[in-house]
Amino acid sequence: MRRLALHIGLIFVSILILLPPLWVLRTSLVPESMSYSTDLLPDVTGQNYIDLFVQKRFGTFYLDSLVVSAGSVLLALPFAAMTGYAFARFKTGGRLARFVVLATQMLPPVAIVLPAFMLFRSVGLTNSLLGLTIAYAALNLPFLIWILMGFFEGIPVDLEWAAMTDGATAWGAFWRVVMPVSLPGIAAAGVLGFILAWNEFLFALVLTGPGTATIPVGLASLQTSNGVQIAKVAAGVILAILPLVIASRFIQRFIVQGLTFGGVK
Amino acid sequence: MASIELEHVSKLYANGAYGVRDVDLNIADGEFVIFLGPSGCGKSTTLRMIAGLESITSGDLRIGGRSVTNVAPRDRNVAVVFQSYALYPHMTVRENMGFGLKMRGAARETIEAKIQDAAALLGLSTYLDRKPAALSGGQRQRVALGRAIVREPNAFLLDEPLSNLDAQLRAEMRLELVKLHRRLGRTIIHVTHDQVEAMTMGDRICIMRDGRMVQVGRPLEVYANPADTFVAKFLATPPMNLIPARIENGADGQPAAVADGLRVKLPQQHLAPYAVTAGKDVLFGIRPEDIYETQANPAWQPIEVTVVAIEALGVENVVVGQIGLSQPLEISARLSRHFTAAVGAKVTLYIDSLPMHLFDPASGAVFARPPLVTSR
Repeated sequence: MRRLALHIGLIFVSILILLPPLWVLRTSLVPESMSYSTDLLPDVTGQNYIDLFVQKRFGTFYLDSLVVSAGSVLLALPFAAMTGYAFARFKTGGRLARFVVLATQMLPPVAIVLPAFMLFRSVGLTNSLLGLTIAYAALNLPFLIWILMGFFEGIPVDLEWAAMTDGATAWGAFWRVVMPVSLPGIAAAGVLGFILAWNEFLFALVLTGPGTATIPVGLASLQTSNGVQIAKVAAGVILAILPLVIASRFIQRFIVQGLTFGGVK
Repeated sequence: MASIELEHVSKLYANGAYGVRDVDLNIADGEFVIFLGPSGCGKSTTLRMIAGLESITSGDLRIGGRSVTNVAPRDRNVAVVFQSYALYPHMTVRENMGFGLKMRGAARETIEAKIQDAAALLGLSTYLDRKPAALSGGQRQRVALGRAIVREPNAFLLDEPLSNLDAQLRAEMRLELVKLHRRLGRTIIHVTHDQVEAMTMGDRICIMRDGRMVQVGRPLEVYANPADTFVAKFLATPPMNLIPARIENGADGQPAAVADGLRVKLPQQHLAPYAVTAGKDVLFGIRPEDIYETQANPAWQPIEVTVVAIEALGVENVVVGQIGLSQPLEISARLSRHFTAAVGAKVTLYIDSLPMHLFDPASGAVFARPPLVTSR
């Protein structure tokens, strides 16, 4: 009986959470004229998606977002891994250094975006994917450092000591033992960094131009002076969250997989 | 193979606390030495300093006659087996065991041959392609040993390698390690806080406390002749009884250790060395196994004891009894398994005073007397 009540409660909460995205999916699949209708599914069409790719250059936005998000993660991860390891294992800079790194995350993005724009303009990195990639890498670096620091702290130092007495240098122990063992953590941090970059709007809006816009900027452009094309926005939203749904599956697997797989008792 | 010499070795931490203080120790080539002590006594730190995993603040460390104080762990050619085993979780048993040789650039065929030899020695041949997660605790422990053996190091440093095993497996592995030492003939330092491991495995025990080496010697030698009350209490379970007493001359003129409910004459052969204790307050030390329920020897001296508890261990009964009235004290006695008495009953037990010790109550140091047992 308790089990049944629990299931009913869980079903209710699931519906509560799933209903909005499902309604967005439904709206993206109905013609623009019926998008505000309360009918469940008055008509089904893929026209909104076709329009986004044909008229609104969503393919380009998609590619830009992919390049910038993946690029920023690839750029930031090695630095984050090394810094996180130094913080975790050698206590480099003490607690102050850790706090300073975290403190940079406390600044509201709007306080950084204009100085960043000035800086990027002076070196010719505005309106370029490279500029946005660098900006995202820098923005996400503290967050990634903290995540990876936590993972590295969870790895027993015995593993590195074993490698060092086995003949490895400190760098060899990091590369051959710590890195492979931390791969699930690094992957999880990478996916989180990707999601952060994928969703970012403010820097993308300021640092990119019409030819280099990302998905969030593309979505915002659907709000025109003629009003909001809600069915197309819905289709855009579905396209925007699709990679995140896939990414969240990965991150779940990596985190559940754990770190040390029984190497140390 | 190599000797290990520690000369005034200390470890001072940034907060000003000593982890290890002024340790002097010579370990002969091929010797099996036990570092024994409670948690935080500095035994693992000493081991890690020998391995090169902790820096030495002052003093000198020599392995095979060569000073290695500032030499990296990889260049000391010692192998460490950690309490946690520290197996590389992403590698198979084969890769784990071959890692050290691979790091040293050994040929693939050589590595494989040595892995096969060590695996056969440790009964791991069928597990070589498994990952550590797919092994039992005992198997992981063997892999950790195998990883050390394969490298043929100068010395094995074992940091509480048996403490994660269950009692039966631990007993088996104790024996295995002793056999392994005989077969390989390498220097072994084994860190433990287990008195049974200390007593049964090593050629010598080094007992540590608060970063200092309190006593070094053969196991039975140390057991029979503890340097102070710490060693006396730490080396056995139940520990040596330490009863506050005073040395007084009896009516017959013979000195005796006297306390409330206790009067034990000092044995004739100890009178000369214990002359310095005359009239002094002392701690009278007697091991629980030197107390008997029957007087098989007329020299054994009776004491009246009120039984507080009996632990029936099957092989023997450990009896906790109370002596004295004004300041009651508890003492333990290891009696025969046939001894029975109700809790609260008054019984007469007999002390064989020959193996007794007297300690200074202030410093805890033993009043020296010639040893009864000199070798194992």
